[in-house]
Amino acid sequence: MNCEVKAKDRVGTINPIFTCQPCGAQYVSIGVKDCIGIVHGGQGCVMFVRLLISQHLKESFEIASSSVHEDGAVFGALDRVETAVDVLLMRYPHVKVIPIITTCSTEVIGDDIDGVITKLEDELLAVKYPDREVHLVPIHTPSFVGSMVTGYDVAVRDFVKKFATKGEPNGKVNLITGWVNPGDVTALKHLLAEMEIDATVLFEIETFDSPLMPTGDAVSHGETTVEDLQGTANALGTIALNRYEGGKAAEFLEKKFKVPAVIGPTPIGIRNTDTFLKRLSEMTGKPIPPSLVRERGIAIDAITDVAHMFLADKRVALFGNPDLVLGLAEFCLDLEMRPVLLLLGDDNGRYADDPRIKALQENAEFPMEIVTNADLWDLEDRIKNKGLELDLILGHSKGRFISIDNGVPMVRVGFPTYDRAGLFRHPVVGYAGATWLVEQIANTLFTDMEYKKNKEWLLNVW
Amino acid sequence: MPYHEFDCSKCIPERKMHAVTKGAGEDLTSCLPLGYLNTIPGTISERGCAYCGAKHVIGTPMKDVLHVSHGPVGCTYDTWQTKRYISDNDNFQLKYTFATDVKEKHIVFGAEKMLKENILEAFDAFPHIKRMTIYQTCATALIGDDINAIAGEVMEERPDVDIFVCNSPGFGGPSQSGGHHKINIAWLNQKVGTVEPEITSDYVINYVGEYNIQGDQEVMLDFFKRMGIQVLSTFTGNGKYDDLRAMHRAHLNVLECARSAEYICDELRVRYGIPRLDIDGFGFKALGDSLRKIGLFFGIEDRAEAIIAEETARWQPELDWYKERLMGKRVCLWPGGSKLWHWAHAIQAEMGVNVVSVYTKFGHQGDMEKGVSRCGEGALAIDDPNELEGQEALRNLRPDVIFTGKRPGEVAKKMRVPYLNAHAYHNGPYKGFEGWVRFARDIYNAVYSPMHQLSALDISQDAIPGDTGFMTRRMLSDATLPEAVRNDPSMRPYTGAFDPIAAIRAKTDYPEFPRRSAIEAAE
Repeated sequence: MNCEVKAKDRVGTINPIFTCQPCGAQYVSIGVKDCIGIVHGGQGCVMFVRLLISQHLKESFEIASSSVHEDGAVFGALDRVETAVDVLLMRYPHVKVIPIITTCSTEVIGDDIDGVITKLEDELLAVKYPDREVHLVPIHTPSFVGSMVTGYDVAVRDFVKKFATKGEPNGKVNLITGWVNPGDVTALKHLLAEMEIDATVLFEIETFDSPLMPTGDAVSHGETTVEDLQGTANALGTIALNRYEGGKAAEFLEKKFKVPAVIGPTPIGIRNTDTFLKRLSEMTGKPIPPSLVRERGIAIDAITDVAHMFLADKRVALFGNPDLVLGLAEFCLDLEMRPVLLLLGDDNGRYADDPRIKALQENAEFPMEIVTNADLWDLEDRIKNKGLELDLILGHSKGRFISIDNGVPMVRVGFPTYDRAGLFRHPVVGYAGATWLVEQIANTLFTDMEYKKNKEWLLNVW
Repeated sequence: MPYHEFDCSKCIPERKMHAVTKGAGEDLTSCLPLGYLNTIPGTISERGCAYCGAKHVIGTPMKDVLHVSHGPVGCTYDTWQTKRYISDNDNFQLKYTFATDVKEKHIVFGAEKMLKENILEAFDAFPHIKRMTIYQTCATALIGDDINAIAGEVMEERPDVDIFVCNSPGFGGPSQSGGHHKINIAWLNQKVGTVEPEITSDYVINYVGEYNIQGDQEVMLDFFKRMGIQVLSTFTGNGKYDDLRAMHRAHLNVLECARSAEYICDELRVRYGIPRLDIDGFGFKALGDSLRKIGLFFGIEDRAEAIIAEETARWQPELDWYKERLMGKRVCLWPGGSKLWHWAHAIQAEMGVNVVSVYTKFGHQGDMEKGVSRCGEGALAIDDPNELEGQEALRNLRPDVIFTGKRPGEVAKKMRVPYLNAHAYHNGPYKGFEGWVRFARDIYNAVYSPMHQLSALDISQDAIPGDTGFMTRRMLSDATLPEAVRNDPSMRPYTGAFDPIAAIRAKTDYPEFPRRSAIEAAE
């Protein structure tokens, strides 16, 4: 078999691909309108995640900490949650939704956040805030389980679980985007609009990219409302674009409310976008309009300009969120490239039966490795010490030195991409995303050819 | 006491004693906020944790070391590539970070066995590195792993390696400051005195509390070398592990950031009798005085004076150019700990700006004492600020520029306040004479950015000028300057390079001063 799937063969992690679960839950929380999460743990679990998100989006987001200190770690820290909820409600009159997000420390000491939420509902909320709409959402994200990706998945499910309420069918589609950028949401909403489909987008994060206004009062925050979340139980169906980032919520809605779930494919590339539109069409009965035929044509035109001339047989390593990596790998194959190494940065047991991985295993025409529980040393060690030859890396900014030090050009994609300007504004999904990605890849390879004087004259007549 | 009560914090009265406005004739006896107390949950404080205070702030700038965090992967990931402490060995410590990757099964059954496997694996992956630091995290502190014992086992089995252990879980104390303390004392207890250095000068110092942000340490080392001073170790920026084991042989501890590293200086004084001299690399006057004090201590004041004269002649005209143009600009000086007092006086005296507010995330009352005393009347001092208080202060104070962290800088941006990174700098280094000019240059570039000017215009309501296709910084800054100042030939804008550190690293022509013993023998 050409394609080998294996787990990292070391115990420890050198240069991690992911951070831990609470980060994923925090990224979800900022997508909800009138919501400020409280992370129950040490202050670093919030401070650094806020820094990370601000590095990626060049915006600041509000997330609170329960500020667990030594006494709390020893005697239990639920009183810190109670204070945090009260302080947050007193000082932020618009806040309606407060997820309580656990961390490793508060899971190890066994703080019962579900219990304290009941207590707060019965006491604080009933007595001090009787006329105020407040929702407390428990989210268990111990850092020693899964990764930021599973944390995202768990949090989407828990928000949906908290709010989804059976009512009249609303004729809408639930579109769970997974961990994407504002530019992706714009691209997805464009496709929905062309199809004339009314959808609840989880999460409405286009506004993460917010303006600097003369009034000086703009803030960055998501716009998914409590009503949006409540209505998810009454939709025509759910499409979760990413199996590992939102799949759990889709399954929950199907099981609990009989809302049919379609999970995947991640609409990266032409083929997967086609499939996404087909599924939308099947779910809603709406046809795919001529405007999208034309849009698809523009993308294929752009891709045809570069694919077989410049991209064919280029060897690519990919790392990052699993749906992104697998979607990109599939697209690379359509582009005639060779995705020779795929690094999935956690030990999710469900990778074993991922149909995309199986298809790669069955059809790989060149040696390909898929490493689970991988770290960035799995990439660097292969380049430096094991003779892996690459033409391109696709991954996020934490791998930047592998590219820099080994002279392998890299296109930044995923989260976080803090060492390039404005990438969050551009989509990787849909036809627009396909065009953007391919042109980014081509231009990056062109710059590398020129910098290394490697057939740089080729472009004289292109 | 002139406490400042924020409107947004009226509902949490205990916050009131954490902010003061310095009134006419007031000093520290009447004007000092509380400091370093437990954080109020849910305030959206900017504080970090004691793990990051130990590992991220102090441990990781050490350059020839495998830095391992024993815990789930997040602590490691989050404290990796978020600072600019460079080193002259191709930034090894910025590039590589190690997590033992503790999972649920380890929480249940213990993680000591896998810790040992991790240590061996890491040394095997980087065979040329023989030194390691291991940092405890919340999770492994709570399950009670004995990291010291495992490190000891490995050192017995592999005599060529050396491992330092720092037990500073994230929840230890109100902020990152708790971690500074723990790692100071742990290093002293475990490592100082375990290596004997070669002494090559009559004047031997440790340079302490210096983290080589954008090359600060290398700038300062250049001065020390020009004075013929041997720097045994730097704690810890661009510092070597084994050099720091030899700290006990210095004649003097030269201390820069007292907030993060005074503990080890004080203990080195107690245990080894090494005096502590607090210095300050920021600002012409403060830096000049610092070099003089060191010179005075060793009796080589003339060497200090020569440097001060040379550097001042070179850079004063450029600093003055900016001073004329920054005069009276209102500054919020909102750093982490010690910069509020390192910078407060110096930027007012030497750049002409007006510090309208200081704050500290993790400083103690002692930092506030120094900060408040170096501010003028009307300055607002805030301890452990939070999101809403920061915004309220910015709305009320209307500063022209703010010096703060990356993420709070994004908040300021939205409020139309230009920001400079106070922790990692914009285009540093900021220490040294040239560095101080670079800081002034960065402030100028932020304040007079044509884009900042454009951001105020509401095109739906305001009159659009329409008579010009561009503006320059100079057109904005010089509009109201008197002719004589505008064209004063004795001043000029910054003329240095994009990267001044490259030249320092390439430098070899340091003076050689004969040792006293050699002179005596000759006589």
